[in-house]
Amino acid sequence: MKQLSRGAFALPGTSLDFKTGTWRNEMPVHNHFGAPCHVACPAGEDAQAYIAKLMEGHEKEAWEILVSANPLPATTARVCPHFCEQACNRKHMDQPIAIHLIERYLGDEAIKHNWAYPLDAKKSDGEPVCVVGAGPAGLSAAYHLRRLGHPVTLIDALPEPGGLLRTAIPVTRLPRDVLDAEIGRLLKLGITFKPRTALGRDVRLEDLLAQHAYVFLAPGAAKSRHWSVDGAVPGDLREGLGLLKEWLIVGDIPKPKSVAIHGGGNTAVDLARVMKRAGVAEVHVITASGLPGPDADPKDVLNVVPREFDQAVEEGIVFHAHRTIQRLLMRGSKLVGLEMVHLKKLPGAGGRSSRVAFEGTETVLHVEMVVPAIGEVVDGTGFESLLGQADYFRADPLGQITASDRVLVGGDARGDRGTVTAAIGDGRLAAATIHAKLTGEALPDPKRRPFIGYDKLNVNYFEPSPRAEEAMLPVGKRTDTDEIEGGLTRAQVTHEIGRCFSCGNCLACDNCWTLCPDNAVIKTQERAKDGSHYVFDYEYCKGCGLCAHECPSGYIIMTPD
Amino acid sequence: MDSTKLKQEIQERRRQAQSAPSESMPVEHNMAELRKLQPRYRGLEAGHRACQGCGEALAARLVTEAAGPDVILTNATGCLEVFTTPWPQSAWRLPWIHSLFENSAAIASGVEAALKAQGRKTKVIAQGGDGGTFDIGFQALSGMLERQHNILYVCYDNEAYMNTGIQRSGSTPHAAMTTTSPPGKERMGKRHLKKDLLSIIAAHHIPYAASASVAYPADIRRKVRRAVSIEGPTFLLIHSPCPLGWGIDSEISIEVARLAVQTGLFPVVELERGELTGVMPIRHPRPVADYLKLQNRFKHLFTDDPRAREEREHLQALADHNIEIYQLKGDGMDALDTDGADTVRRGGMVD
Amino acid sequence: MLHALEGSQAIAQAVALCRPGVVAAYPITPQTHIVENISKLVADGKLKCEFVSVESEFSAASVVLGASAAGSRSYTASSSQGILLMAEVLFDIAGMRLPVVMTCANRAISAPINIWNDHQDSMTVRDSGWIQLHCADNQEAIDTSIQAFRIAERTELPVMVCMDGFVLTHTLEVVDMPSAEQVDSYLPPFTFKNKLDPKHPLSLGTLVGPEYYTEARYSLHRALEKALPEIEAADADWAKICGRAAGGLLTVEGPENATTAVLAMGSVVSTLTESNEMLPGNKRVKIIKLRSFRPFPIEALQMACQGLKELIVLERAFSPGLGGILGTEVRAALAGMQKPPQVRNFTVGLGGRDIPMSTLSKLINAAKAQAPGGFAILDVEPERLPPEDR
Repeated sequence: MKQLSRGAFALPGTSLDFKTGTWRNEMPVHNHFGAPCHVACPAGEDAQAYIAKLMEGHEKEAWEILVSANPLPATTARVCPHFCEQACNRKHMDQPIAIHLIERYLGDEAIKHNWAYPLDAKKSDGEPVCVVGAGPAGLSAAYHLRRLGHPVTLIDALPEPGGLLRTAIPVTRLPRDVLDAEIGRLLKLGITFKPRTALGRDVRLEDLLAQHAYVFLAPGAAKSRHWSVDGAVPGDLREGLGLLKEWLIVGDIPKPKSVAIHGGGNTAVDLARVMKRAGVAEVHVITASGLPGPDADPKDVLNVVPREFDQAVEEGIVFHAHRTIQRLLMRGSKLVGLEMVHLKKLPGAGGRSSRVAFEGTETVLHVEMVVPAIGEVVDGTGFESLLGQADYFRADPLGQITASDRVLVGGDARGDRGTVTAAIGDGRLAAATIHAKLTGEALPDPKRRPFIGYDKLNVNYFEPSPRAEEAMLPVGKRTDTDEIEGGLTRAQVTHEIGRCFSCGNCLACDNCWTLCPDNAVIKTQERAKDGSHYVFDYEYCKGCGLCAHECPSGYIIMTPD
Repeated sequence: MDSTKLKQEIQERRRQAQSAPSESMPVEHNMAELRKLQPRYRGLEAGHRACQGCGEALAARLVTEAAGPDVILTNATGCLEVFTTPWPQSAWRLPWIHSLFENSAAIASGVEAALKAQGRKTKVIAQGGDGGTFDIGFQALSGMLERQHNILYVCYDNEAYMNTGIQRSGSTPHAAMTTTSPPGKERMGKRHLKKDLLSIIAAHHIPYAASASVAYPADIRRKVRRAVSIEGPTFLLIHSPCPLGWGIDSEISIEVARLAVQTGLFPVVELERGELTGVMPIRHPRPVADYLKLQNRFKHLFTDDPRAREEREHLQALADHNIEIYQLKGDGMDALDTDGADTVRRGGMVD
Repeated sequence: MLHALEGSQAIAQAVALCRPGVVAAYPITPQTHIVENISKLVADGKLKCEFVSVESEFSAASVVLGASAAGSRSYTASSSQGILLMAEVLFDIAGMRLPVVMTCANRAISAPINIWNDHQDSMTVRDSGWIQLHCADNQEAIDTSIQAFRIAERTELPVMVCMDGFVLTHTLEVVDMPSAEQVDSYLPPFTFKNKLDPKHPLSLGTLVGPEYYTEARYSLHRALEKALPEIEAADADWAKICGRAAGGLLTVEGPENATTAVLAMGSVVSTLTESNEMLPGNKRVKIIKLRSFRPFPIEALQMACQGLKELIVLERAFSPGLGGILGTEVRAALAGMQKPPQVRNFTVGLGGRDIPMSTLSKLINAAKAQAPGGFAILDVEPERLPPEDR
């Protein structure tokens, strides 16, 4: 029986005997919603995580987080359209975080300091796997297989690795020393690289399958799609990717007075810029897509890195959006012009959308040359049995195909990809899938997690802050050899990482700890199990919801108790 | 993720946490130990019985954190006293004494005189609600200030007598509904204005008098440290929402407090020797309706009644007046204005 | 050492000898000179203490409450309206068991406003839980004030030293002021184990619910009952030091065989004693001087009343609508005796009305006429009343 103290005084802190947690109807829990940047990245890069690490001042560890998903960050930083930035919640306040420039900074620092990948290059206790094609998908698969301990043989038909990174992307966008540094470092991970080895010509699929547990097929899409306008083609027709490759290798490009490039991808825009720089006075790009802009439907815009588009416009390229070529104006087999018409992709009967041209919108464009850059299809040489008559492989999200249970496919050969980053993601998922199948572990889950929207953040706690601008060569000084974009300084990177909202993840900002009226949020010295720096003391938490409401990053949610 | 699945996942996570054997429990789950290791002074402990989302509990926690541990507290009768010390329990880790509703400042004077007599350097902080400060305890407070006791008096202002059932006080804002200022055919809530206590306090020519809001903890901490460091009487008025009395959900009490400042209805200012020496500038003044409409106590101002519109305009005019006389309108970005003062940084608030 | 001192001055010096750490006071009308004299001692550097000139009697009581809780020996003085304004705090001081000492210079209360002596002020707060000791002269007031600190600090109960306003406080009397050495040897330095201290941070003044409130109040009652021997011991020990007692719980004077006694408190006892000595030997009565009104010494009073046939209770206050307060309490206290005396009850001398030497004879005669359980105001003049209130 409790006995009274004289004058009924009480001892300090004895309220701890009273467990106010019993009052609670709802409880706060930490919930790591996906950050938009992370969820949007086809390669699976967790930008938020490496930004957080960088904020702590650990550059190498930040890079290690980065390369745990993508082994070629200095490369993707330069060539990816940056789905991460398009998704970044910061755009609703001012401008998205310049994630690609942070990625580039880390990638370049790694090259500069020759940082080693965080893996044991000697570990080789797995099963042998062959990777066909040393483009981004193949390199990524080889890398991730090595991380998982599998011996890897990487073959490619060309003398040098890199695939379209080397053959199709201008050095003004991707300097070759950057590409060589990243690929060179990757190949040193105990990968057996066999160049000049073409499937069907130098090796047979059956032999590869006999010597390896699995084959990952990443041949890319190298064969130009057939192009004509109602059966008509100019006599001197060249297709876009071929011209670009030739220019990259030989350094030569046709120089008509005017050209129309037909297509809406990076090849079209890269070629347009190369030709413009080479001296072609009028360069037109005719595309069925819309142009990037604040109100554009992301599904309906040019499949081009947005800033590449901006630079192209800057350089004088004329874009004709939502158009197609309806007729070629020929004098004999020589092109003298073409007729364009407005069109749009509209939903039709049966749920499938189709492109509808609008009568009465025809215009004539006088050009000397037309170059199709409407995409490429898979060259099935050597694996005809798997591809059949199709232009592309149809695979599940993990890269598995029905035609073989020991062959997985990724990258542009899938036909539903179209970016370097997506190819890198394919390589990673295929490696994980092969590893899972070999070890009997559960297959990776390719589903995208839900990500947290701007409305779930408490942006009272963030200040407007302008996006860092990278150094850029002025239009007049742009050449065929110098990289146009200049990246960020360390100070700019510091500014930029400070702009991160840390959507859906703990910022360790102390808000919950500071604002809990009930002292029921406890700060941990070490990181708590869920990755935050705080734990809830449910013995005392009354479930008021203040912490959840005032969490800047939406990391705390209230759930029925 | 749909909510059912989320719920299941969370329940699973909880079950794992609870079923883990205590020996192997990682350090972050040994709450009692972690509680002792908190990197801040704990003046007000958990287990107190304040309502969910109580602004006063938060404010008192912040004040004691910033001031402790060499402090003696006095407390007027009111919510804070009741919810912290139901015998045999006390939530305080500082020496604390409560006597009556109206004498917090006077017992603090006595404590301070005794400390002086004994040559002890401990700081005294007197605490009271708005009822105990604006109204019934006003005389004792005035005496304390006039006699220049070395005391910080903190008033937790929730703008009515909450502990006794939400009756209007001298601090209740104009037109607010309380149980003794109900709106009706003849009335639109409180007929009178909120007493300008801070000016009256400042007129005692004391070294430091300031207002603050629970929405800005770093500002509170700075002001408490400043006030405590001054030898002599100092005063801090902290706007502290009462979810029950204001008719708001518990999770928005900080948001409402922030709006009170951002509208200009609760000016956050500092006065030294009666002179205005600092304000928290308002970067983007918000219309008072943004603040009022969140609260049930102003519900009657959002009806078709023409008087409702009039009273809303009246409150807007009062806010505009505050902005004018205290020159609250900010000019551009400022780390210490209503937008900048609560900006978070990775790794914790900087103050 | 003998001095001719005004009562207030004498009390001020006695309190100063007790080395209080904090003194707080407010000059409410009617005030006494006690605190003025203390502030002069402080101003002259003769007393090292914090003198707090508060803005009300309410704050005076609050300041000594806080100061006592913070571990300083604390003192205040008041009277009349001041006591009533303090009432809320007085209950608090006792309930929190804080050893505060105050002097009540007893005076009448409003309305009508009247600044002169009676006991209505301290009577009003008789249930506050304070020890109340009444003094018959200034020497007793000096000695009781010193004893009050010892009693308060040993029992952790506040003590109110009641002395008649004007009659004692403003009167010049020759008194023996003890030396500092005597007081220091009697009264150890103040230590309060529950004091406010960051090293041992207690919470004082908590909320106690129905499940313990009864016990909390009852423990105050028990503490007051247990203070009775402390009061006696404090007086006896004081007598050992200075050879002079101040009246214990109560004292009885007069012929051993007298069967009538008069019981009273305060300076009126001196008047009664003097008048009694002037009566013929066989007419003399016993005079019971009640010193400890709270705690009420039931046992000691029953002993003092052994063999008495008649006990006349003369008091300086009353409860409108009931009658005498002291008389009612004495009747209740004696109810347990085998052969209790008849208790007669009179109030006299309200609001400073003179109590002449003739009062005793008048009282004895009036008592004969009073019905059992009766009450009367001895010196009321019915013809002065408004007709409707006669």
